[in-house]
Amino acid sequence: MTAVAAPARRRSRLRAVPKVVWLFLLVPALVEVGMVFWPAVNSFYLSLTEWNGLGAAKPVGLANFRNLFSDDVFLGALKNNVVWAIGFGGLSVLGGLALAVALNRPRRGVGLYRSAIYLPMVFSLAVTGLFWRVQYQPDGTINTLLGAVGLDGWEKQWLANPDTALYAVLVAAVWRQVGYVMVLYLAGLKGTDPTLDDASAMDGASAWQRFRFVTWPQLRGVNTVVFAVTVIDSLRTFDIVWAMTQGGPYHSSELLSTYMFQQGFTFLNLGYASAIAVVIFALALVFIITYLIRATKEEAG
Amino acid sequence: MISAPLSRRGFLAGIGGIGAAGLLGACATGSDSGSSAASSTLTLQSSLSDPDPKAALTKVVEGYTKTKTTLNTIAIETFRAQLPTYLNSGNPPDVLTWYAGSVARDYASKGFLLDVSDMWTGNGACANFSPALKELSTANGKQIFVPTNYYWWGVFYRKSMFQQWGVQVPTTWDEFITVCKTIKSKGAAPITMGTGSTAWVASGWFDYLNLRINGAEFHRDLLAGKHPFDGPEVKAVMDHYKQLLEFIDPKGRSYSWQDAVTPLASKKAGMYLIGAFITSAVPADVVDDLDFFQVPIIDPSVPVAEEAPTDGYFASAKSKNPAGAKDLLSYLASAPAQQQFIQLAKSSNLPTSTQVDTSTFSPLVQKGIKMLGEAKGLTQFFNRDSSDELQTTADTALTKFLDKPGDVNAILTEWQASAKKVLGS
Repeated sequence: MTAVAAPARRRSRLRAVPKVVWLFLLVPALVEVGMVFWPAVNSFYLSLTEWNGLGAAKPVGLANFRNLFSDDVFLGALKNNVVWAIGFGGLSVLGGLALAVALNRPRRGVGLYRSAIYLPMVFSLAVTGLFWRVQYQPDGTINTLLGAVGLDGWEKQWLANPDTALYAVLVAAVWRQVGYVMVLYLAGLKGTDPTLDDASAMDGASAWQRFRFVTWPQLRGVNTVVFAVTVIDSLRTFDIVWAMTQGGPYHSSELLSTYMFQQGFTFLNLGYASAIAVVIFALALVFIITYLIRATKEEAG
Repeated sequence: MISAPLSRRGFLAGIGGIGAAGLLGACATGSDSGSSAASSTLTLQSSLSDPDPKAALTKVVEGYTKTKTTLNTIAIETFRAQLPTYLNSGNPPDVLTWYAGSVARDYASKGFLLDVSDMWTGNGACANFSPALKELSTANGKQIFVPTNYYWWGVFYRKSMFQQWGVQVPTTWDEFITVCKTIKSKGAAPITMGTGSTAWVASGWFDYLNLRINGAEFHRDLLAGKHPFDGPEVKAVMDHYKQLLEFIDPKGRSYSWQDAVTPLASKKAGMYLIGAFITSAVPADVVDDLDFFQVPIIDPSVPVAEEAPTDGYFASAKSKNPAGAKDLLSYLASAPAQQQFIQLAKSSNLPTSTQVDTSTFSPLVQKGIKMLGEAKGLTQFFNRDSSDELQTTADTALTKFLDKPGDVNAILTEWQASAKKVLGS
C-alpha cells in the first residue's frame, strides 16, 4: 500500500480513462444497485412491517423480531443452523484437508481418485438431495448395508426420524462439499515449498510434525479462503434441505433459510420472512467482518 | 436475466419495491409484460406444469379462436408465491388457474377478483353447475370463481388382493378395523400412507374422521378457528386415528404420497386413503384392478360429507378486457372444453358441467361421480378449506402424533396454540 504518494498521479490517470469505459462501468453498477442493493434495503424495511404482498405494507415496528424470539420453530432453526455450521464446516474442512494431504503425492491412479472425490460437486445440491433421499429410504442402500453387516439394530428411517434427519442431510451435504475443499487444499499444497519439507525430514521431524509446523503455516492463505467459503455456504444452505426433508419431520431439520422460504413464499408473511432474512444477514455479517479483520491483519503482519 | 433490468426497475417503481418477493417477481412478471401492448390479447396464467395437464390446457386454449390468448405456465410454488403480485400488478394476467376455497375468498374480499355472477345465471356457462359448486365459488354473495373439474377422495385398494385375502368392502368403522386386522394377519400392511415429503397426506384421515364423527359444519368451523383443536371433539377424532396407527405401514413416514403407492401396487399393502389422482401414479396394468370405497361411516346420525377438491379459474378484477376474460372463462367452462381437458390430461377428475357425456369415462370415475352426487355436503381438503399456513400446523401435529401417539394431549395443545397464531394474524 503506497496510498500516501498516490493522489496526484491517480488524478491524471483518472482523466485518461475514456468516457465510454465509465459508461460500461455505470451500467453494471446500476444493475447491481437496482437488482441487489435496492431489494436488500427493501427487505430491511419490510422486516419492520406486516405484509402479504397485497396493498400497502403495515408498519409494526420491531414486533416481527419480538415474535421471532418467542417462536419455537425459529429458535429451533437457529440452533440447527449452529449445528449445521459447525458440522458442515468442521467435517468438510477436516475431510477435505485429509484427502488433499493423502492425494497430494503423485502416484499411480491418484488423478482418478481426485476426480472421483470431486465428482459429486458436479451435481447440483437438489440432485444430491434426491440421490441421498433414495439411499436413506427404509429399504435403501444404507439400511440394506447395515443389515448385511449385522447391524440391523442401527437401521432407521433416517429422514423421518427427528433425531437423525438433520444429520442425515448434513452427511449428504458434506459428501458433496468435501471434494471442493480438497481441491482448494490441493492447490494450496502445490504452493508450498517442497524443499522445506525435505529439509525438516532430514532434520528428523515426524510426518505429523512436518505437517503441523512446516506445511500448515504455509496454508494460511488457503485457510482463510476455505473458512469464508464454508461459512457462507453453510449459512446459505437451502436447496439440499428442501429437497430432502423440507425442514421436517415437524421442523426438526429446519434451517433459517428454509423457514424464511416457507414463511415468505408459501405463507406470504413477507414481513416476518424479511425479519428472518435480516437475522441471517446479521449472522453472515458477523462472520464476514471477523474474516475481513483477520485477513487484513494478516496482510499487514 | 440479461434483458431483465429494464422491466425489473419498472416493476419495482410500479409497486413501490418489495424486496425479496420482487426478486422472483422480475422473472414472472417479465413474462406477461408482452401483453401490455395490446389489450386485445388475453393472458392465461397457469400453474399446471405437469406434462399431461399442461399439454391438455395448451390444446384447449388453441381451440379458443375469438381472441388471441397467451398461455403462461409457471411452477406451482412460484405461482402461489407470486399470485398476489400478479393480481396486484397494473397489468395483470386476465385469467388464472386456481382452486375454490378460502384463499380465493380472501382475494375476493380485497377486491382483486372479477365478479362473474352473470356467468352463473340464465344462459351463463356455469348456470347448470350444482348448488354445492356455486356455494364453493361464492364470496360475499357474488360468484368469483369458475370451477371446471373436481375429484374425490376414497380408500383405494386392489380388487384381486381383497379377493385373495377374503375380505369384503367395509361400510362401518368396526368392519373396517376387522378388515385391517385380517390384512395384517396375512402379513401385509393394511394401510399405506406417504407422509414423508408430503406430510399433508396425514390430513386425509384427519379430515375424514372429523367429517364422519363431527360432521362437515363442525369441520369447516374448526378450520375457520371457531372451535379449538384441543377440544373434546378433536380428541374423539384422534382417538379413532389412534386405532389406525398399528395398521399404518411405518415406512410411509419416509415416503412421498407417490412412493407410498408402490406397496399398494406391489401387493405389500392393502389400502390407501388418497385422492383420485392416485390413478396417475399406479402402473398401467394395475389401474384396472384398482377400486375404492367410501370412508366407512362412524356415526350414522352425522350427514355424510365427502372431500371434493375443486379446480378451475378466476379472472383478475384489473383485467384490461373483462368482457374478453369472461368469454374465455365461458369457453373453458363449456362442456366440450371440460371434456377435452379431462381426457387429454389423463386425470380421473370429474367435470363440473352436467352436460359433459360421462358415459365414456372409466367405471372408477363413474363411481366417484355417484359418490359425490349422493353426499349431503362437500368439503375440499384441509389446506383448501383453511390455508397453506394452517396446513403446516396440521402437518406438524399429525406427523408428530404418528410418531408419538401417547403425547396426543400435548400435541393438540401445541396445535391449538400454533393455529391461533396463524388465524389471529
